[in-house]
Amino acid sequence: MIDFFINWIGIIPSFAAPFVLAALGLIICEKSGVLNLGAEGFMLIGALAGVGFSINGSSAMIALGFSAIAGSMLGLLFAVLVAGLRINHVISGLALVFLAQALTSLIATQNSWTNNAIYGLGPFFPDYFQKFPIIGKILFGHDLIIYLIPIFCLIVNYVMYRTALGLNLRSVGENPYSADAAGVNVTLYRFVAILVGGAFLGLAGGYLTVAVSKIWVDGVVGGRGWIAIALVIFARWGPWRALLGAILFGCIEALIPRVAATGFQVPQYFLLMTPYFATLGVMVWSAMRLKNDWSQPGSLGKHHIREERT
Amino acid sequence: MHQQQDLILDERWFRMVGREIEKAAKSSAGSADKTHHFGRLQFFPRLEVRQNFPEWLRIVIYIGSLIIGSVLAILVMSFAGIKPADLMQELTMLLFSGTRTWAAVLAQTAPLIIAGLATAVAFRANFWNVGLEGQMILGTIFASFIAIYDIGPESLRLPLMALAAMVGGVVWIAPAGFLKFKLGINEVITTLLMNYIAFNLLLHLLFGPWKDPVSGFPHSQQFDLAERLPGLGWENLSFALPMALLFVVVIWWVFSFSRVGYLLNFVSSNPNMAKAVGVPVLGLSVAAIIMSGAIGGMTGFTIATGVEFRMTKDFFSGFLFSGVLIAFLGRNHPLGVLVVALFMAMLVLLGQSLQVFYQVPFALIQLIQAIFIICVAASEFFLTYRMHWKRSK
Repeated sequence: MIDFFINWIGIIPSFAAPFVLAALGLIICEKSGVLNLGAEGFMLIGALAGVGFSINGSSAMIALGFSAIAGSMLGLLFAVLVAGLRINHVISGLALVFLAQALTSLIATQNSWTNNAIYGLGPFFPDYFQKFPIIGKILFGHDLIIYLIPIFCLIVNYVMYRTALGLNLRSVGENPYSADAAGVNVTLYRFVAILVGGAFLGLAGGYLTVAVSKIWVDGVVGGRGWIAIALVIFARWGPWRALLGAILFGCIEALIPRVAATGFQVPQYFLLMTPYFATLGVMVWSAMRLKNDWSQPGSLGKHHIREERT
Repeated sequence: MHQQQDLILDERWFRMVGREIEKAAKSSAGSADKTHHFGRLQFFPRLEVRQNFPEWLRIVIYIGSLIIGSVLAILVMSFAGIKPADLMQELTMLLFSGTRTWAAVLAQTAPLIIAGLATAVAFRANFWNVGLEGQMILGTIFASFIAIYDIGPESLRLPLMALAAMVGGVVWIAPAGFLKFKLGINEVITTLLMNYIAFNLLLHLLFGPWKDPVSGFPHSQQFDLAERLPGLGWENLSFALPMALLFVVVIWWVFSFSRVGYLLNFVSSNPNMAKAVGVPVLGLSVAAIIMSGAIGGMTGFTIATGVEFRMTKDFFSGFLFSGVLIAFLGRNHPLGVLVVALFMAMLVLLGQSLQVFYQVPFALIQLIQAIFIICVAASEFFLTYRMHWKRSK
């Protein structure tokens, strides 16, 4: 039983990490007023970039860097559509998911990267740290990204709530017309927010393949982008709350392989449904609990056209 | 958030009036200084929202975006290793190789029309239903239940299955609608998550209780003859095509000629105004959502009973994508859906033959579809805004 818990707690961070990274990216995007429904697509692109560069001989960390860059590249397209051409945020987000699904599937098949195992990202601490009883696996068994995540949360939180930059970003999301009147370049802020958010989302996808699955199959992200969108609502756009929420989802997801390993006779596919049910449950809970909550950016999903100024 | 939206919608009218007054004042006062400043072009244009635009502009911009999309598609194809000349040859093969290919195109069109309609009906009511695949799966599961357990007399089997499919689709869209109207939860996320749940349910059934007892493969047992859509007697066309056309006509009538359609247009263009004058907004939206779910279930039904004759593991794949594309390019109009679905079927067949003869993955076709969506969506910009490149004083 203790073994079960140690193994379970030990793998939670690697399941939670993609959710936190994606949620951070989405928070940055959405705080600037851009409703990003393309999260799934950004993660797919990042995931494929991670695998592709790993197969072509990059080290795992460099491959992850390219995942982030790939996320930003897709972000550039999204930014042109949403912040530049002011297309409906919902349709552009969906179109981006479709584009990423097709593009990743095409590139992976053309280069035969599918089902091609990669070496991936290993634990950060040397082996003998993990031999400590109990805490060895829980504290020292993770890769570098896991230890960086609290720092990422700290930075995002600091920039968002303690700097003028963050204040401007949030004002753009709350009321772009006031922000514009105060001399903030709304389009520029949204552009940069999408690029930075895209980098985080790409990194989340890259982590999924480079550090967790260590293989590419089509649709490897499996709806985690959508779960991350729900998670951001659940976390009320706060980086630290997003970390907590991600750990919650990490717990649920980490339970699936563990329960299967113990040999419980639970129908497998019902077990695989649990993250999606949990997401729906969490969304209902947030909606009922937070009816008068004002943490949602006031102009989420709305365009800013200077000449339409009120 | 909703209250804020109300405010903005109401203010928009005032702003519009204000702008008109300003414009009138400007045109009377500023006609004297018509000086051109060629050195004062700006890098980013100033945008002005068009108050109205002629119909020809809409058509020109739409066609222009399709042309740009086609150019990009040809570029992508040549990157994937298909030369434009080969592409032309494939296209002419498709168009002029006789009735057999056309029958194949039409057979492909039927489910695409129904999928496009399912999406378009929801989009009309401002409900972003991206759960078509889940609704197809549930519809097919319900219909297969009737078929597998032989419920009802054989003569009524097929109508019963169709009814079950519609119920299945509605069952799968209803929670999303309920959550949206009761709690304000974004329907894009809920409908999409429901897809994953439905897919896992399908796999559970196909790998578990409903596995084919004859072959042991993960698909359901074959439907009996009474449980299949009858053929039309021309090539391999089934009854699905007339059914799809019937749907088009019915929905066209509902949208364009009935009271419901008129009110639905009212609701989607200004929900607050509609609510204020006593239009049953909630009832109309719910009706549209139920209709969308039912048609979504029927999409699965036509494939299971008209093409596969059983419930398979991946009969639904790609339909969400195509459904959104067809509804969007068809501007949520039934006749638009009909035309776009026909082109889409040709694209799908083209993709299949490219897959066979040039070994390009089918994802190429999906990539082209995505490019078309993005191009047409982006073209909306030129319709909504007028650009001013000259620096204003």
